[in-house]
Amino acid sequence: MRIVIADDEVLLRQGLARLLVDAGCEVVGAVGTATELHRLVQLSEPDVALVDIRMPPTYTDEGLVAARQIRETYPGVGVLVLSHHVESRYAMRLLEHHPGGSGYLLKERVSDIAVLADALHRVAAGECVLDPTIVARLLRRPAFPGKLQELTEREREVLGLMAEGRSNRAIAERLFLSQKTVEVHVTHIFTRLGLEVESPDDHRRVLAVLAHLRAR
Amino acid sequence: MAGLAGVGSAVRRTLWPVVAAVGLLTLALVRRNPAYSPAGASIAGVAGVLVPGWALAATGLLTWAKRPSSRSGPLLAAAGISWFATEWNNPGIGSAAAFTVGLIGYGMCPAVVAHAVLSFPSGRLDSSAERLAVGFAYASSFFLLGVLPALFLDPAAQGCSQCPRNLLQTAGSPVVQEHAARTGAALQMAWSLAMVVLAIRRLLRSSPVLRRWKWPVLVAGAGYLGFVAADSERQLIRPVLGYDAWDRRLWFAEASAIVAIGAGVALGWLRGRRTRNKIARLVVDLARSPPTGGLRDVLAETLGDDSLRLAYPLSGGGLVDARGSPLIVDGPATTLVRGGRPMAVLTHRPGLLDDPATAEEVARTAGLVLDNERLQAELSAQLQRLGASRRRIVAAADAARRRLERDLHDGAQQRLVTLLLQVRVIRSRWGPGADPNMLALAGEVETELTCAVNELRQLAHGIFPALLGDEGLAQAVEAFAEGADVPVKIACLEDVRLDPTVEAAAYFVIAESIGRSGAHTATVRMSRSSRLLRLDVELDGGDDAGGKPWILDLEDRVGAVDGRLEVLRTETGFVRIGAEIPCAL
Repeated sequence: MRIVIADDEVLLRQGLARLLVDAGCEVVGAVGTATELHRLVQLSEPDVALVDIRMPPTYTDEGLVAARQIRETYPGVGVLVLSHHVESRYAMRLLEHHPGGSGYLLKERVSDIAVLADALHRVAAGECVLDPTIVARLLRRPAFPGKLQELTEREREVLGLMAEGRSNRAIAERLFLSQKTVEVHVTHIFTRLGLEVESPDDHRRVLAVLAHLRAR
Repeated sequence: MAGLAGVGSAVRRTLWPVVAAVGLLTLALVRRNPAYSPAGASIAGVAGVLVPGWALAATGLLTWAKRPSSRSGPLLAAAGISWFATEWNNPGIGSAAAFTVGLIGYGMCPAVVAHAVLSFPSGRLDSSAERLAVGFAYASSFFLLGVLPALFLDPAAQGCSQCPRNLLQTAGSPVVQEHAARTGAALQMAWSLAMVVLAIRRLLRSSPVLRRWKWPVLVAGAGYLGFVAADSERQLIRPVLGYDAWDRRLWFAEASAIVAIGAGVALGWLRGRRTRNKIARLVVDLARSPPTGGLRDVLAETLGDDSLRLAYPLSGGGLVDARGSPLIVDGPATTLVRGGRPMAVLTHRPGLLDDPATAEEVARTAGLVLDNERLQAELSAQLQRLGASRRRIVAAADAARRRLERDLHDGAQQRLVTLLLQVRVIRSRWGPGADPNMLALAGEVETELTCAVNELRQLAHGIFPALLGDEGLAQAVEAFAEGADVPVKIACLEDVRLDPTVEAAAYFVIAESIGRSGAHTATVRMSRSSRLLRLDVELDGGDDAGGKPWILDLEDRVGAVDGRLEVLRTETGFVRIGAEIPCAL
């Protein structure tokens, strides 16, 4: 898997590159600004770009803007954004336009190479990735009594994994269930919550689930 | 200035008996030798000599006394005396010096009257055309009708045995004398007609108020100049000494026109008094129920200028309107002064207050209300400055918070994450044969660092939520509800960007109300009209909120952006915190 890194912190860039190489990835370049990132992506056509959300010059959302541009210009290049922000709004901004091939992880995940590598692979494969902490925060959110409380514990687990962007197959593997059972759960959850999705095993369902969780 | 004014009033007082005496002496002269005067020997002639001269001189002296700053008074007085002077070339005058003065001053009256009329009421000429015409009138009257004929007049040679000696006489030459007089008459006709045109032009160009004041004087003056032009024309076609019936009629017409000029000036005083009464009445009405900025409307109506604006000078410099908002004065402006101190500045149509007397009237009659409004304006300006400074302080504090949040994210947090990564790199370098104790220790360090990153994130978010700056109030409130410890229902939101200080004030009202009150649940409503942002936080459970220090903090914050905050307890037991904040998009 060929990866490019964009982060304005040199030490972090180097450390990340080293860990990723150790994990068997090929790091084809590491840069510090969004402009350099565009040039790098154009030149090297990587599988995934690993992008920090805050970069010069304003240190606000350069990473998100760059990610969207890359997804639009190079549909074959996946983008994984690393962010300090735990608010789902920032993730939604990334995912709402191009849920497939986009990912949003909290920055401290860089130390958990297994999670990072998994996310990179999924994004490269065109899946959608959302940090479990953000999903957990949404699920844990105290709320007025609603439809979510009517779900069983297992259904809530499935819902969370769906929100993280996992496919039915991945959910089945993770929960040691048959794919058939997961599909039943998914259908049930969607009926309960009143959600409608054309294809139940699609990264667009992530958006539907997230919209529901955020809107409570 | 005071000394000069003192000298002026002394001169003025001496002039009264002088004018009276000059009039009587001139009359005596005319009566003694009526053949040499158009007045003739009739009783009407007596009135024709005395009334115009005295009338003009008296109105001039009175105007001088009433408005020492205007040059019209002395000019009118001079015009009155110059009317008498036309008679002093009468041979019966006896004295050679007086006779010579009479010869020179013979033609001056129309020029002085034209000057006084055209420059009424300020005594100043507006345009260079007027200055040119008046200058030309003086010059041609003085040289062509006065000095030049006098130089070549030999009274004895022309058969005037009783004439006193002509002190200016160089050589007797009736031809030169007649040529000069004829040219003078031709020019007098020309400039008189030009002055009529200028008088009409001046009337048309005046502001309505001044026009009402000026027209009697200007119309009478134009009439007088018309008669003068006709008189000159007669002298051109029939240059012989002596006066026929037509000459006499014209002379009486001129005399009547001059009396009318004097009457016009007097009418102006009456009008001035009426205007003053009108202003005074309106000001009294205003004093009973004074709306802010009401004086401007009154003055605009009284002076007939809708564009009029009233500005008040602040003691610290600068001008403000009646509401205390800073004002920049451009275009014509008149400062109203009272007791040597500027009270207000009026901006108006050009020419509206050309006459300083009107401004003085306004300052005098509207004085109390002006003072009152000026104090109010100064107070409002101070309040506005205070409000602005309060707002700046809060904005600066917000900016500092925001900077701190960024520094924490981009500095400390970034460092911690890098550290975390480096520990991880070290761990991976140790490889499979590493000391398990060291591995466990490295694991603990990682855990601690992750905790620190999380805590720092919460701290930074509490200082200033990044989303508030990045995406605005609505997104920040939604994110707040997402992470709140209690259920927060957002009933409605307005997703528009507002002023950062307004956004921050609104955000902290919502966040602090819910976070500090200890409520079990909360409902947030937010709506915006064109100029007002309304917030409503309904809290179920928790403390009473009223009078708590954090509520006072919120009141200060909302107050700094000119908003207000209120805390209510509803019948159903909820605490409702409402805020209204002015906002412009």
